[in-house]
Amino acid sequence: MRLIFGLLFLSMLWLIAFPSFAPAEPEILIQFPFTSNLMAQASGFSREPVERNPIQTSGTDLNSLESSASYAVSDLPVLMAQLNDPVREETELEEQPDTIADPLQPVNRIFFHVNDKLYFWALKPLASGYRAVVPEDFRLGVKNFFSNLTTPVRLVNCLLQANFKGAGNETIRFLLNSTLGLAGFLDPAKTELRIEKRDEDFGQTLGFWGIGPAFYIEWPILGASSLRDTFGYAGDLLLDPKTYLIQSVPVGLAIRTYDQVNETSLRIGEYEDFKRNTLDPYIAKREAYHQNRKHKIKNR
Amino acid sequence: MNRTFLIQAMLCLSFTFGMVVPGFAGEPQDQLRETTDKVLSVLTDPDLKSPSKAKERRERIQKILDERFDWEEMARRSLARHWTQRTPEEIREFVPLFKVLLERVYADKVEGYSWNKISYEGETIDRDYAAIKVKIFTAKDQAIRVEYRTLKKGNHWLVYDFSVEGVGLVNNYRTQFNEIIVKSSFQELIKRLKTKSPQN
Repeated sequence: MRLIFGLLFLSMLWLIAFPSFAPAEPEILIQFPFTSNLMAQASGFSREPVERNPIQTSGTDLNSLESSASYAVSDLPVLMAQLNDPVREETELEEQPDTIADPLQPVNRIFFHVNDKLYFWALKPLASGYRAVVPEDFRLGVKNFFSNLTTPVRLVNCLLQANFKGAGNETIRFLLNSTLGLAGFLDPAKTELRIEKRDEDFGQTLGFWGIGPAFYIEWPILGASSLRDTFGYAGDLLLDPKTYLIQSVPVGLAIRTYDQVNETSLRIGEYEDFKRNTLDPYIAKREAYHQNRKHKIKNR
Repeated sequence: MNRTFLIQAMLCLSFTFGMVVPGFAGEPQDQLRETTDKVLSVLTDPDLKSPSKAKERRERIQKILDERFDWEEMARRSLARHWTQRTPEEIREFVPLFKVLLERVYADKVEGYSWNKISYEGETIDRDYAAIKVKIFTAKDQAIRVEYRTLKKGNHWLVYDFSVEGVGLVNNYRTQFNEIIVKSSFQELIKRLKTKSPQN
């Protein structure tokens, strides 16, 4: 606890001492040579230019239906490599098609089903009723408030990833939004200064330092996760002020539920669309989770 | 001595500009922007706003998308290794079914978000391939990161994949299709695709 506030305080001092680090242009990251190397390692591709596959660039004939049937490479990795065009080569040229291991699939599918029912029978009716009564601006305010409260999670994880610019952004956002933004309900840091939130968590920090997701886990209620991100979630709980501010367990759960209902009220319909447009929603959710996490780890 | 240096410098410069120029020319991006603008004009057309016109609106969007999206390439990449094992008849059955699904994915996405602003965040061109990064801002100023992948065919840069917040469309369907084909069969995949078509 003391450590967290210590870090917060230190990063504030840092900003006061070196105002040049203040994020005038939030999009530009400070990149030390060693961090970009680590990034490359973490995302699983080497920085050396990869030699282009001769088959895939040999001509446009590959694109027509008739000729594409003529190359009968049944070896999956070879074919996948061919399908990966040069643009995505640097990010996605992997030995295996990129999916996440799923040894717990039978159990995960059961919990996927439970979560699905939980959404349609409990969460959605609650969120719809809530949406009908509470105006959208207020609900966005509540979302901002909860998000502002979890600043320590993002700030510490920025620091753990040596992302000092991100940490500076989060500090400024917290100071500004907690005061001028009326305890976080408004987001003047974004609307006035264009300082975007850095969506970092401990799972991403672990990923940044080269730890893979291990395997997929579908938790009841909490939803999609992986072994790595489950540890990450536990770490984030330790950095979440709500864990310390609210002593009573039922009140804590009630507040977290409210946060969830509020969040859901802003995105009713998305899950329905997703289910309608997928052939195997469980697989689709698992892969979407995996890809999105990889994307977040890479774009820190 | 001096002259060689000059030539070297000029060579360096010309290489630098040679590299930079395609990035600014932006043919793939211009073509994509043209399509997106057309879709937006349909979405914002007051004559098509009423719910009774929803079908006509979707049809108009589909027509615009047909010019820019390479459905067959998407299907080929989504089936990946299973594509080569299909007969021409199976492919003729599969591609239109998949196209209907993809069109709906796109339409759901664009109709779902109330688009406020679209900013183009740059493109990468590598011979016949190009990636275009786009940021979509919703009415409530939430940014959604979308990336389009295009492939040059003739004079047209055709979209063969797009990703939303890092989640690639082709990649996602590829895993689903593979799972279904390996666990049951291609016929099962066709059956499931049919239940997803809008008539049902």
